Amino acid sequence: MLKDITIGQYFPGNSPVHRLDPRMKLVLTTVYIVMLFIASTPLSLVVGILFLAVVYPVSRVPVGMMIRSIKPIIPIILLTGILNMFFIDGDILWQWWILKITDRGLTMAVLMSVRIICLIAGTSLLTYTTSPIALTDGLEQLFGPLKRFRVPVHEVAMMMTIALRFIPTLIEETDKIMSAQKARGADLESGGIMQRVRALIPILIPLFVSAFRRAEELALAMECRCYHGGENRTRMHVLRMGAIDAVSFIFTGACLAGVILVNIYGAGWL
Amino acid sequence: MENIFECQSITFSYNIADQDKVLPVPILEDLSIAVRPGEFVAVLGHNGSGKSTLAKHLNAILLPQGGVVYVNGIDTREEERLLEIRSHVGMVFQNPDNQIVATVVEEDVAFALENLGVPPAEIRTRVDDALRSVGMYEHRLRAPHQLSGGQKQRVAIAGIIAMRPDCIVLDEPTAMLDPRGRQEVIGTVQELNREFGITVVLITHFMDEAARCGRVVVMDDGKIILDASPREVFSQVELLKSVGLDVPQATELVYRLRQAGIELPGDIIEVEQCVTAIGRLLKGS
Amino acid sequence: MAIIRTENLNYIYGGGTAFEKSAVTNINLEIEQGEFVGIIGHTGSGKSTLIQHFNGLLRPTSGKVYIDGHDIWEKPKEIRKFRFKVGLVFQYPEYQLFEETVYKDIAFGPTNMGLTKDEVDERVLEAAELVGLKDKHMRKSPFELSGGQKRRVAIAGVMAMRPDVLILDEPTAGLDPRGRDMILGEIQRYHIQNKNTVLLVSHSMEDIARYAHKVLVMNRSEVFLYDNVEAVFAHAREIADMGLAVPQITRICIALRDMGYNISPETYTVESAKEQILALLGGR
Repeated sequence: MLKDITIGQYFPGNSPVHRLDPRMKLVLTTVYIVMLFIASTPLSLVVGILFLAVVYPVSRVPVGMMIRSIKPIIPIILLTGILNMFFIDGDILWQWWILKITDRGLTMAVLMSVRIICLIAGTSLLTYTTSPIALTDGLEQLFGPLKRFRVPVHEVAMMMTIALRFIPTLIEETDKIMSAQKARGADLESGGIMQRVRALIPILIPLFVSAFRRAEELALAMECRCYHGGENRTRMHVLRMGAIDAVSFIFTGACLAGVILVNIYGAGWL
Repeated sequence: MENIFECQSITFSYNIADQDKVLPVPILEDLSIAVRPGEFVAVLGHNGSGKSTLAKHLNAILLPQGGVVYVNGIDTREEERLLEIRSHVGMVFQNPDNQIVATVVEEDVAFALENLGVPPAEIRTRVDDALRSVGMYEHRLRAPHQLSGGQKQRVAIAGIIAMRPDCIVLDEPTAMLDPRGRQEVIGTVQELNREFGITVVLITHFMDEAARCGRVVVMDDGKIILDASPREVFSQVELLKSVGLDVPQATELVYRLRQAGIELPGDIIEVEQCVTAIGRLLKGS
Repeated sequence: MAIIRTENLNYIYGGGTAFEKSAVTNINLEIEQGEFVGIIGHTGSGKSTLIQHFNGLLRPTSGKVYIDGHDIWEKPKEIRKFRFKVGLVFQYPEYQLFEETVYKDIAFGPTNMGLTKDEVDERVLEAAELVGLKDKHMRKSPFELSGGQKRRVAIAGVMAMRPDVLILDEPTAGLDPRGRDMILGEIQRYHIQNKNTVLLVSHSMEDIARYAHKVLVMNRSEVFLYDNVEAVFAHAREIADMGLAVPQITRICIALRDMGYNISPETYTVESAKEQILALLGGR
């Protein structure tokens, strides 16, 4: 069924990584991304890989999930690799007609490819170990101070939560509407682009109408449960930093420092 | 003790746009009703009788255009006390999906308490209690789309119970459920009324649900035409049929036998009563 | 001749989904032309899955489906034409309306059939009349109508295709007693007028007892029974065990029978129960 797509889906568990404060995870993921992009030598990138090699087992997320997250972007990796390999100048290692592979090209191709793989694997780890609600909570709290500048942090977080809540429901509804229209002879499979787009109208209109109706009913239900915006709201789950957060902060900090050091001093090793 | 609800001669109309004109369509006409604490009241009526409109007056979703509605002595037109009214009177709607706001069951049950600014530790206990009292504690970490209709409605009820309201109003809560879901919901609500003394107002068009309540109010055309115990109400077979309602088959059978001249009690609404009475009859003759 | 025939029909949902959807197992069924069949079964018994095989929305994992003698999956690319022969109205069909006017929405099905404008017009008006929609409704937007009226528009939209078989999945869901009686009355009228085949999925045995000739009882993805109404009620006890609600009147008669009185435990109408009781009383 459509609603069982696993892109970025939460993989429940109780590992130390799961139990980290979502705010810390968001910050550390950002630091990790920075780390990947400032790594200027293959060796410094190895530190980035080592980071993943430590964190993934600790999270107890199966390696299969990591591979699954990378699969969709293999075309991009290949494209990047090829572009870098053939179109960067340097000492030529291999040549055939106008195609040439240079040493720098090869290095860059490997660097960029590994970088992208690590990037996807790392950010997927974030969504695998953090439930959508924890993520939105974390974001709401992190950006909380912006409320002072009239940024609608709570409202955006609420919108995200409700959207996440209704995605499976709306997907199910789309299935039903499609079946109902197919039962009346709607043809969603054949024809050129224009025909297919037009064939979507009997699906999209009922879906939109339904979504608006849901929104209205939900808003009413929320008001009946005393919703009045973000003022004076408490939360059942209070985010609290603990020992594991401190440890992971130090660990990530150390990796970042390691990358910078290898950048500076490790240049001679390769 | 003070009435939970007191509606005094309320009138209400909707403005319907019909081509270029805007016509007021009267829905409630000079309606008065009072509900005492601890009652389990069914409000019965066909679609369009005004029963849902009445329900929406009970927690100030709608304000009467004429007359007054008092909830626990508070006039519903007092805007500053709106949250107070709504924390005392919870409302459960027909569509199980369109009431659930969170991605996880227990988060949804906590929603009302979070809105009311209740301290986190207390939210936790009240959520757990509420989930247990509707029998959904084991499902507290599940996502809403994985639940059946009856389970979703019970989660909605838990979300209300967590507020520890004096009263729950349910607007056709079982209309979209299968028989098992209906059983679950009505059973839950009945138990909440029995065990915790929560006042329940159940808007419905299902006779068998109304038969389980302590008091049945029948509406037609924006007015109350009957307000009595289930037995008294269901014995008025002709009247109920004339306003587009059904009677339980047990009642129908007894009614037709009485019409054929047989002597039977006129207030039978359940299978066991019917069997006992007819059995007695057959034995005696 | 059987208008619908299945041969060892099986459907398995792949992948362990948390949301329960039932498969159907080894269905061998023959439904004759002109029947009015009620389909009952607990939630998850496979009724919804089964009916979606009859109009080719679902393809069997194994086994065959024959409509009017044709194996509908013989030429998979031509499956659409069977959707015009077997019309399926889903639950809460009013949620599928989308056109600018009621007329256009009802016309969606016939237009997809490739009919001429006149033919479409004839069918739209015919279907509208069948469900009790008036002229004034036809030019309105379907979204302006009440819930009950919208449902009628949706049902008319399928009837307008003049299918040989009309399948309705719980057409009375969410309606009050008056609404329920009206819709079922219209469906009955449609059946009598057009002499076609109607399949009605319902949770209400009372409704099925009143309108259907034959009943298909589904239980845990299999056919438990397919027989006429009386024969099915002979199994009232087993049906109750499946978690289906047997009509009050049947339960009353079963109880009276258990007490030793000569009342048929297969009674399913109030009138019949009354007659039997009067007979017993008169006879003494």
